Amino acid sequence: MSQFSKTDGLYSLTLSIDEAHVLINLVEQLLELLGEGDFAHHYDQNDPFAQLMAMQQERTTPEDPVLKRLLPNAYADPEAADDFRRYTEPALRLNKQSALRSIREALTILVDAEADGIIEELDPHLWLKSMNDLRLALSIRLEIGAESFEKFENMPDEDPQKGIYAVYFWLGWLQENLLELLA
Amino acid sequence: MGDTLTESEISIDQLLERPWICIVWDDPVNLMSYVTFVLIKVFGFSKEKAHDKMMQVHIEGRSVVATGSREEMEHHVQALHEHGLWATLQRDDKI
Repeated sequence: MSQFSKTDGLYSLTLSIDEAHVLINLVEQLLELLGEGDFAHHYDQNDPFAQLMAMQQERTTPEDPVLKRLLPNAYADPEAADDFRRYTEPALRLNKQSALRSIREALTILVDAEADGIIEELDPHLWLKSMNDLRLALSIRLEIGAESFEKFENMPDEDPQKGIYAVYFWLGWLQENLLELLA
Repeated sequence: MGDTLTESEISIDQLLERPWICIVWDDPVNLMSYVTFVLIKVFGFSKEKAHDKMMQVHIEGRSVVATGSREEMEHHVQALHEHGLWATLQRDDKI
């Protein structure tokens, strides 16, 4: 049973190998999505030339609904929104990507060992942020609304979406678990 | 004459002085405890204030979480987006 714990101010996460596989798959899918259309992604992120080029790229509201939710418009006015996006979206993508990458790194150790295990000394802020991004991404694909938990509970087990709903609610539970430790 | 202010009575000076505001919008995904946590982390709110703002988002659909210069509000919106909250900025429409 997956669970975060806190000992002497250090955070850890106990995960089964199956859970580690589920999480790493989601993390990699989201990393792939966040990399799409991102010019800076192919370059050294600290290279000032790459940063300049990324900034000059035209940016508009993403068409993919998941990206639209993760990289939302800052202004109601489309022109102001695009303008803001041009200067800030590369950094926002990098912020999300780097949190997801550090989680992937931690999960890789469990996945490579093919065994249940504990991720020690994790950064709770990065995990919270990334778990939230994963839930946001899943919520768009599942069209989550206020009635979704009821819908999930009444869903027959053979429904292929039921497993994805289960992962979505599991991530929410884990997030709540970590928030309680941080409070 | 009524005491409502019509648009023509608003001076240019008042318009220029209108501050910018940062708004957090409701969404069905972010956990209430997470929204409270992020507001404390990003704005340094007390637990009570963060909780009140979160409840306002939840019940009224939106809450103004900061007021100030455009640059400051852009900075806040970016920080909120990094945490997955749905936030926008605009000129304060109240005078």
